Amino acid sequence: MTTPAAELIGVSQRFGSFTAVDAIDLQIPRGRLTTLLGPSGCGKTTTLRMLAGYSAPTSGRILIEGDDATRTPPEKRNLGMVFQSYALFPHLTVADNVAYGPKMRRVPAPERRLRANEALELVGLAHLADRKPKQLSGGQQQRVALARAIAIRPRLLLLDEPLSNLDARLRVQMRAEIRRIQSETGLTIVLVTHDQDEALEMSDEMVLMRSGKIVQSGAPRDVFPAPADRFVAEFLGYENFLALGDGRQAAVRPEHLRVVPLDTPADGAVALDAVVRDVAYRGVDLLVTLDATDATGAAVRLLADHRADTATGPTPSAGDRVRILAPEARLALLDPTPIPATPTEGIS
Amino acid sequence: MSQVLSQAGKRSLRLRHPVAGTLAVAGYVVMIVPILFVVATSFTAGSTLRFPPDGFSLRWFAEAAAYTPFVEALVSSLQLAVLATGLALLLGVPVTLAIHRGRIPGKELLEGLFLSPLVVPELVVGLALYQQLMIGLGLNNFSTLLLGHTALLLPYAVRVTGASLALADPALEEAARGLGASPLRAFVTVTLPMLRPGLISAGLLGFVTSFNNVPLSLLLQTRDFRTLPVTMLDYVQQSYDPMVAAASTIVLAATVVVAVVAERTVGFAKIFGGINR
Ligand SMILES: Nc1ncnc2c1ncn2[C@@H]1O[C@H](COP(=O)(O)OP(=O)(O)OP(=O)(O)O)[C@@H](O)[C@H]1O
Ligand SMILES: [Mg+2]
Repeated sequence: MTTPAAELIGVSQRFGSFTAVDAIDLQIPRGRLTTLLGPSGCGKTTTLRMLAGYSAPTSGRILIEGDDATRTPPEKRNLGMVFQSYALFPHLTVADNVAYGPKMRRVPAPERRLRANEALELVGLAHLADRKPKQLSGGQQQRVALARAIAIRPRLLLLDEPLSNLDARLRVQMRAEIRRIQSETGLTIVLVTHDQDEALEMSDEMVLMRSGKIVQSGAPRDVFPAPADRFVAEFLGYENFLALGDGRQAAVRPEHLRVVPLDTPADGAVALDAVVRDVAYRGVDLLVTLDATDATGAAVRLLADHRADTATGPTPSAGDRVRILAPEARLALLDPTPIPATPTEGIS
Repeated sequence: MSQVLSQAGKRSLRLRHPVAGTLAVAGYVVMIVPILFVVATSFTAGSTLRFPPDGFSLRWFAEAAAYTPFVEALVSSLQLAVLATGLALLLGVPVTLAIHRGRIPGKELLEGLFLSPLVVPELVVGLALYQQLMIGLGLNNFSTLLLGHTALLLPYAVRVTGASLALADPALEEAARGLGASPLRAFVTVTLPMLRPGLISAGLLGFVTSFNNVPLSLLLQTRDFRTLPVTMLDYVQQSYDPMVAAASTIVLAATVVVAVVAERTVGFAKIFGGINR
C-alpha cells in the first residue's frame, strides 16, 4: 500500500478549556477527493488549518507524504489552500495572483507566466488574466483562487467550503467542475463542507465529524445506506426513526415510506398504522406528515414523500387513517448508543 | 463609515434647521475670513499690514524668501517634520500590527497608551520633555524636539494605518504563506501594499501636523534651532510688516497642496475616519 497523501495521528486542538478537535485519526488517500462533512462548529476548519500549517495541534502528529510535518510552517508544506473568502490579493491582477506562488518559489518569469496561464486555462479564465479581483464575479473569483492554489503544483489541495458563497445553480456546476479538475490533474483534494449533497456527489471518501470527533467515514455508497448512528442518519437526511421491537433501531428516508390504504398487505415490509396530520404540496411530490405508533407502543412522527405518479392508492389528506409500509431493504439499522439530546460540543 | 453617516447627518441638519445652518456658516466665516485678510495683505505694494492693501506686488514674497532667519527656520522645520513623520511611521506600523494582528494580552491598554498624546495637552508633554530630557539627560535640543514631535504624531500614525489594516482580510497574509512566502515576504508583498493608502495619509497628516506645530516647538526652542512657525511668531512680536503675511501665505498654500494630494490619494473620509474610529 502506498503512503497516504496526509495522515493525522491522534490530533487535538484545544482553545483554552474547549476542545475543538478531539484526538482524531485520519488518512487522506492519494489522488482522491476526501470531504470533511459535519454541522457548523464541529471542527472542520480547525482540522483543515492544522493540516495546512496555520495552527499547530495541541497534541498529535501530522504526516504529509509520510514525513512528519507537525511543526512545519505553511510556506514549507507545499499545499494549495482555497479560503472561504477566496483571499485573492486585491492589488494584483488575476495573472499575478496566480503567478504569486511560483514567484515565491523563484520560478523564472517566463515559466511563471506559462504556469499561471496553464492554471487559468484549467479553470477556463485565461481571457480574464489582466483583470483585478474586484472586477470579477464571485464564481470567477472562486476559480481564480482555485487556479492560484493549483499553480504551485501542491501535494494536496485544501478547500474550505469553496462553494458556499455561490448561488445554488453555480454551486451545482462547480461541483462537477472541481471533479473534472481533479480527474484531469490527479490532485489529492480535501474539501470541507456542511452540505451532505455536496459531499455525497463529490467525494471518493467522506469523513463525518461531530463535536471534534470523526463519527463515520468511507465511500458515499457505503456510508449513505448504512449510517452508523442517529446523528449521521439525521445529517444524511433520514427523517424517520423507528424502534423495531426487538431492541433494534432503524432509520428510513421519507422517499422510502409508502402511504397506502389500511387494508394493504404488508408483504414483508414493516407496517404501521398512522393518521395523516398534514399534507404539503411540493411540486414533484407531496410531503405527508403522520402520527404513528411503533412496535414498542411509542408515538412517532413520520414524514413520507408521496409521489402521485408512482404511488398506488388514493391521494392522502389530513385526518385519513392510513397504513405506512417501510420495505426491509430500505431500513438502515442504527448503533443503539444513545445520542445526547443537546450536543455538549466536546467540552472537557 | 460612521463618519460618512454623521457627515450626511450634519448636512441634512443644516438644511432642516435654519439656526444650526446659520451657526455653521458663521463658524466657517470666522475661521476663513481672517485667513483671507492675511492672504490679501501679503500681496500689498505698500510697507504696512493694512486692509485693503495698497496696490498689488509680489515684493513681500521675494523679501520673505530672501530673509535668512525664515529660510533657515524653514529648513529646520522641514527636517524636523520629515524625520518625526518617518520615525512615527517606523514606530507606529509595528504597534498597529501588534494591536490588530498580534496575540498579546492588554491590547486595549497598548492602544490607549499610543493614543494618549492626542488627549494630553501638548504643553504638558513639552514641559515634561523639557525637564526630563533636556535638563535631566542632557539631550540636545534637536533630539528633544524630534522626540516630542514623534510622540505628537504617533497617534495619527497608529490610527490612520490601523484604519487601513482593519479593512484588509487577515486571510490574505495566510494565503501568501500557503503559497510559499516567508512571514517577512508575505508582509512586504501583501500586507504592506494594503497599508499603502494608510501610510500615505498618515505621512501627509503627520508632516503637516509637525510642520505647523507651535506649542511643543515654542517650549523646546533654543537660539540655534527654531521652527518656522516659532520664528514667524518672534518676528511678529518685533515688527509688523507684510513679509510675515507673505510667509504665512506660502505655508498656507503648501498645506492646501498637501491636503489636496491627500484627498486625491485616499480621501478625507478615510483619513478622518481613521482618527475618529
Ligand atoms: N481561534 C479560536 N479560539 C477559540 N475557539 C475557536 C477558535 N477557532 C475555532 N474555535 C471553536 O472551535 C470550534 C470548531 O470551529 P471550526 O471553525 O473548526 O468549525 P467548523 O466545523 O469549520 O464550522 P463551520 O461550518 O461553521 O465553519 C467552534 O466551536 C469554534 O467556536
Ligand atoms: Mg469552517
